[in-house]
Amino acid sequence: SNEEDKAFDMTTSERVVDLLNQAALISTEEKLIVLKQVQELVINKDPSLLDNFLDEIIAFQTDKSIEVRKFVIGFIEEACKRDNELLLRLIANLNMLMRDESVNVVKKAILTLTQLYKVALQWLVRTKSVTDMQEACWDMVTQMKGDVLALLDSDNDGVRTHAIKFTESLIITLSPRTPDSDTPKKQEGDISLDKIPKDHTYIRYDTLCEEGKTALDQLLKFMVHPAISSINLTTALGSLATLARQRPMFMSEVVQAYEMLHANLPPTLAKSQVSSVRKNLKLHLVAVLKHPSSVDFHVQISTLLQDLGMSPSEITRCTPVAVQPRKRLH
Amino acid sequence: MPPHPLRVAVVCSSNQNRSMEAHNILSKRGFDVRSFGTGTHVKLPGPAPDKPNIYDFKTTYEQMYNDLVRKDKELYTQNGILHMLDRNKRIKSRPERFQSCRDQFDLVITCEERVYDQVLEDLNSREQESFQPVHVINVDIQDNHEEATLGAFLICELCQCIQHTDDMENEMDELLQEFEEKSHRPFLHSVCFY
Repeated sequence: SNEEDKAFDMTTSERVVDLLNQAALISTEEKLIVLKQVQELVINKDPSLLDNFLDEIIAFQTDKSIEVRKFVIGFIEEACKRDNELLLRLIANLNMLMRDESVNVVKKAILTLTQLYKVALQWLVRTKSVTDMQEACWDMVTQMKGDVLALLDSDNDGVRTHAIKFTESLIITLSPRTPDSDTPKKQEGDISLDKIPKDHTYIRYDTLCEEGKTALDQLLKFMVHPAISSINLTTALGSLATLARQRPMFMSEVVQAYEMLHANLPPTLAKSQVSSVRKNLKLHLVAVLKHPSSVDFHVQISTLLQDLGMSPSEITRCTPVAVQPRKRLH
Repeated sequence: MPPHPLRVAVVCSSNQNRSMEAHNILSKRGFDVRSFGTGTHVKLPGPAPDKPNIYDFKTTYEQMYNDLVRKDKELYTQNGILHMLDRNKRIKSRPERFQSCRDQFDLVITCEERVYDQVLEDLNSREQESFQPVHVINVDIQDNHEEATLGAFLICELCQCIQHTDDMENEMDELLQEFEEKSHRPFLHSVCFY
């Protein structure tokens, strides 16, 4: 009944108040446990409470513990996914946390922006008449996107790794999914350029398309930096394979980048790092070879794989039957 | 030091000798550690090199122990297999296959190149979701008791050094180079994403 629901709500609400009061006074480890309970209550158990307790939870973004600040970022992600309107209130907080003094907080913020960029775009595309607040929100998301792309030049290797993964995801979002796109099940509902109307009041299809191309250029340029670390090279090689499979329109750029890299491995790499990179290159080339749309590049890919130590029969085994030269039926 | 204890996985082929030796030492040193095998089956030495004892990953260490006692208690006592199984069952009940585990780690350490390849192939074949990185490092260890002990100490030292870095990802490259020089072994190193 209604009365029962009300009592139920009050208890949940009271519990949240109680937990938040506790959280203010206890050690970091316990605080994280309590805050996770709060998150569970206001996001999954009773989302109607979310709005009410938002400020109290977000206040922990200035906590002295790195783990608590990372928790707040995770909370922002879950809250905005649950209720897209909250982007209006929370995007500025994420923007602030992206400038945190701890690289671990910055990295977590990049991971969350990777997810929320898609969420924000989808939310605005669904909206027929965009408000000033929404415009300001999208402008901030766009500015943050630029900030993360600039972090490809960060001094910190791990931050660069995260920036590469953001760039990979951004390129996928800002390019059209085509019938030959190999889209992971979990990303089937994700927004991509082909779902953006060309007559939207605020989101400009052409601008986004250009931004996607620029991001790809930046990733390709990043890869040929002579002092790139082996881990970031590995990361970029994987990103290229993802791009080739999910956006076969970039197949030519990807194969060319693999060829370039194979011919000019960075001189800074140690011997074992060269082995690691070559192993990764092989793994990703096989993944690209298995995609039917790589058929026009089989000669190049096979040559590379042979250089990396694969036998012709192994290469044939990794080539999809559908694109192997067909025997005439008559 | 990273704010949370490193979540480490040590992986060999059958989750019996090398990964379990490392599991044992790492957990005694307070690491958040799990161990795995990547093989399709669990293989233990048998009466002849071409006659291994083969089990599936569902079989408990206890069941294997009892099976081998029944088959030839003297042989398996003498070659140390029963001792090893006895140690293993004190750590966990059964071997686990890496490819079947969906838990996330910060660091995966493999004990031979073939296992490293299988781990990379598995991690790369999974659908990416959070983009949370996981570092995979291979340390070659021969599959016998002495080498497993030495290897486990090396893995432990490596994990302790990584745990004590202020910024693991930024310092990993240099750290591995130093370890290579010190231990005279090449390490393969890669990063995958969940």
